[in-house]
Amino acid sequence: MSPDLSCLVHWILFLPLVVAAFSAVVLRRAGTIAAWLSTATAFVIAYLAWIVLSQVPGDLVWHVKLANFGQMELGFGYLLNAHARLMLFVVSFVAAWIHLFSIGYMADDEAKGRFFAGLSIFMFSILGIVVADNLLMTFIFWELVGFSSYMLIAHYFDKDFAAAASKKAFITNRVGDLGFILGLAFCLQHFGTLNFADLAAHQPAGGWPIALGALLMCGFLGKSAQFPLHVWLTDAMAGPTPVSALIHAATMVAAGVYFMARIFFLMTPEVLEIIAISGASMAALGGLCALAQTDIKKSLAYSTLAHLGIMACALGLGHPELALLHMTMHAFFKATLFLGAGSVIHGCHHEQNMLQMGGLLKKMPITATAFIIATLSNCAVPFFAGWYSKDAIIEAAFHGHHYVAFGLLAIAALATCLYSARMVRLVFLGSAQSEAAEHAHESPWTMTVPLVILGVVFSLAAGFATSFLIPANATVSIAEPLHEMAFSFTAPATWVGLLSLLAGWAALKFYGIFPGKDSLQVFSPRTYHLLEHRWVDSFYEWYLHKVQRRAAEFIAFLDLLLINGVIGRWIAAGIPAVLGYFTGRTLHRGQTRGYALWIILGTLLLAWCFLAR
Amino acid sequence: MQISPSVLLLIAVYTPILTGLILLTLRKLPQSFASGFALGGFAIPGVIAPWLLAKWLSPNTEIQQFISEGPWGFGMGLNGLGAPLLAMTAFVGLAAGIKALTQEVEARNTYLGLILFMFGGTLGVFATTHLIGFYFFHEFALVPTFILTLFWGGEGRRSAAMQMALYLTAGAMASLAGLLIALDASGLSFNEATLVRVVEALAEGPHLPQATAALILFGLGTLASLFPFHSWAAPGYSAAPTPVSMLHAGALKKFGLYGIILLGASSLHLSQGTLGNWFLGLAVANVFVVGLICLVQRDLKQLLSWSSVAHMGPIFLGIWVAGTNGKAAGLDAAAFLMVAHGLSCAALFLLGNAVRTRAGTYRLDSLGGMASRSPILAALFIAATMASIGLPGFGNFWGEIGVFLSLGGLPLWLQAIVASTVVISAVYSLRAVAATFFGPATEALEERYRVAPFGDLGLAEIGAASFLLGASLVIGFCPAIITRSTNPVMTDIAAYSQRAEIKLSKPAPQRAPQSPATPAR
Repeated sequence: MSPDLSCLVHWILFLPLVVAAFSAVVLRRAGTIAAWLSTATAFVIAYLAWIVLSQVPGDLVWHVKLANFGQMELGFGYLLNAHARLMLFVVSFVAAWIHLFSIGYMADDEAKGRFFAGLSIFMFSILGIVVADNLLMTFIFWELVGFSSYMLIAHYFDKDFAAAASKKAFITNRVGDLGFILGLAFCLQHFGTLNFADLAAHQPAGGWPIALGALLMCGFLGKSAQFPLHVWLTDAMAGPTPVSALIHAATMVAAGVYFMARIFFLMTPEVLEIIAISGASMAALGGLCALAQTDIKKSLAYSTLAHLGIMACALGLGHPELALLHMTMHAFFKATLFLGAGSVIHGCHHEQNMLQMGGLLKKMPITATAFIIATLSNCAVPFFAGWYSKDAIIEAAFHGHHYVAFGLLAIAALATCLYSARMVRLVFLGSAQSEAAEHAHESPWTMTVPLVILGVVFSLAAGFATSFLIPANATVSIAEPLHEMAFSFTAPATWVGLLSLLAGWAALKFYGIFPGKDSLQVFSPRTYHLLEHRWVDSFYEWYLHKVQRRAAEFIAFLDLLLINGVIGRWIAAGIPAVLGYFTGRTLHRGQTRGYALWIILGTLLLAWCFLAR
Repeated sequence: MQISPSVLLLIAVYTPILTGLILLTLRKLPQSFASGFALGGFAIPGVIAPWLLAKWLSPNTEIQQFISEGPWGFGMGLNGLGAPLLAMTAFVGLAAGIKALTQEVEARNTYLGLILFMFGGTLGVFATTHLIGFYFFHEFALVPTFILTLFWGGEGRRSAAMQMALYLTAGAMASLAGLLIALDASGLSFNEATLVRVVEALAEGPHLPQATAALILFGLGTLASLFPFHSWAAPGYSAAPTPVSMLHAGALKKFGLYGIILLGASSLHLSQGTLGNWFLGLAVANVFVVGLICLVQRDLKQLLSWSSVAHMGPIFLGIWVAGTNGKAAGLDAAAFLMVAHGLSCAALFLLGNAVRTRAGTYRLDSLGGMASRSPILAALFIAATMASIGLPGFGNFWGEIGVFLSLGGLPLWLQAIVASTVVISAVYSLRAVAATFFGPATEALEERYRVAPFGDLGLAEIGAASFLLGASLVIGFCPAIITRSTNPVMTDIAAYSQRAEIKLSKPAPQRAPQSPATPAR
């Protein structure tokens, strides 16, 4: 342990909190200053993280006691192990560029101060999850991440959909956190500690209980938007696009995967099996549903769901290092895709409907280049960043003889190529379909520089040039799968990938048949409607309005009728009757002054009784 | 010259009462004088009480320095639970005072004087060492509460004040009966009856029937709105003028919990046997049933009032669980939540009223989109809401999570019902936030704006709310401020509760055949 480095971690963690508080209180009306201050902070954090990563000799451990509840000790500390170092790099690096992008994207926004204060709060929260050395601290920052997400989704709060989406995101996450809390209580009850290192050192003889893994998994289901708690993520696109890129694609939702990798030793085979199947299903479903969205951000949101499913599946198959590898690569190319979408939306004067776009390749060449490279990475074209992780996971499913997962992942890979081709075709190729697309323009440098760094450099080269791009200390946990990855015609995953790419090429043609329309919708409206995916939401809405609300109303009615009515009347009749007996007058007419008098007299009487003893 | 802490304690409690007395006798006092006096009465405890807490936490001070003997049970002294509650009350009182001073009301001096009485009485509750002083100060604070609600209250004040008076009188009577029985059993004379001695005497003395414990639990429980004796609370807080709601729901209500912890939990084995099962069931109902009732509220102040009842549930559960396993974790968490809830709840009532003065209504369906016109109000209201639903960073989080963690021994389904409060409270609180501040402004609100244009919060309101939320943040970031004070006393109380249990169990017959497995708790 090095004292200097833990001091640097303090700075990394608390600097954004201080900046956020300062921006919220002092810079409320000075949005531009707040924007640059917050962005500068993000780069300082990235720099400090780089120093820590290049100097840290091994795991960095630091711990302090916060408070005692009875014998229960609550602590705060850092555990910067291999997983945490990777995540620290991904978060600080991607976030810095997205901050810079936001300056351009939010240039005309009136509430920049609030927005950037929110981003800084988010940085504080996510970095807390990264460095936390115990479950409770993870939970604390887990909740804070949920809060920052809530505030940023509600950025356009005067729109009803943003208000509803922010609420939905927070509450759905809390449903998952309910399980997390129970997991914390279970862990403390049975093992007496919440510290990662202590837990890892004391594996019980009979293995870890299923309940512990299953309960902690609930937190992951909520945060990483896995079935059945995935409904909030697509609505969360109501927030500004940089928020979608940073929080709802690259870091926060991936934090669930990171958390699972961190506590992977607690997972039992039963829990892993659930995660594998549900993850693979989510991957296939998310990919297919992305085909039936006209909003570019919603389509990308379903794509994120699919990739989170792939990461979950890797976890479930017993390969946390592959999940983390995919999380890293996904952070680069999905951040680029969202930033590209943001740039397109910005260029098209806030048009988000892909059917209204078209022909942007020539008008926005830098955005288009970055977007297309990220798309190829997304489709796992060999030697692009995404290929290293995604093919490895598909291959792992095959070699693990988990053919259900393999099949579902193959569908996901196919769907990925289809929706990616559709997106590129509708947005960048063909001809402009609206006035807005006709007058589109390339974005300012604050937006294109991040696109080039994340898109052109990292989405392309993060796989084969890792050692040049990422500090070696950060890649310890993913180095092995990365080096083992090689192109081979004998691998089933290669054939899945090649066939999918072929299908993607066909889709490129297919979606060009009806300009301004969705070809699938024209050919098979029913399939399209099915893929629009509203059924889980509809079920929840039915439950909330028809079941929960009615039950609550019924209980409130019973409370009023029975408890308030009966008990209230009983007391109301009883006391005045007793008092009235003594005074000979009725006190039924609300003479509270009379009551006050009686209370004082009664107290004095009793006091006198005492004194007389 | 150094003033001893015990003198400062006396000053903190009696300054509001004396200034209140001045305002009540000199009712014709010009407004500026009256305001000056009242501000002094509200602010002096606000300065002294946090200082006392800091002094209390310092390892160099002895408990004796905080104690001053007084006649007839009016001796003052702090204990580990009273010290943070006193500081919390002082903060809530100061914020309530600022609110009261900015209000335009009839008979202003009387109004301020009565609020000062209420404030002083609540401070007295947490600063007294004697059983009778404890009871006296509570009644001393409660009587002005009724009068203030009845004469200065809002819609439905008559029936609310009536109902509140009935319930609270009944509760106070029941608890008094219990206290008297307990005092009798302890064999102490009135003058000797300090809280500490009563507890010690009870733990060592004869075993009291559970009916006594029940009287104290349900009596004091009524004052703290234990289900099903909660019906007075929501209408009572709703109808009361805002400073009164703040002081009552935030601080005064904690009297019942304070009494349950100090007297009931320590030596009356509230959590054991049949009574213990009832206690558990009712506390769970406080969390879950009242939580569901919150979901259907259509009026902002009613919602705040109901949620303040629901938030008592985890506190009761923390007290209950410590009595079953003898671990102080539950009590520490309950105490933490008592302090934190006082701060957040007072802030919510304060800011809720700021919504009302601007929009002219508390009805959620007529509100909407206020964040555009009053962004600071919206920001502070959201912060207070987040505090009340236990967002980390605010004090309430430590209380809630502490209770949940201490309940680890319960069956999982029961834990799930209790912990479901994190979802339910988020649902109703965020719904209120969205309905009040988000979305486009409603037509009713636009119309109101045309008639009476409103702006953002004034400096006084910002100051009062920031004061409360700032305090919550401080204990949220440094929870040891509270736990270092409560931990020793709670550890003792938890130990006492088990000592009583050991005394309770009959001596086991020698070499008795092993009984068939009894269900373990």
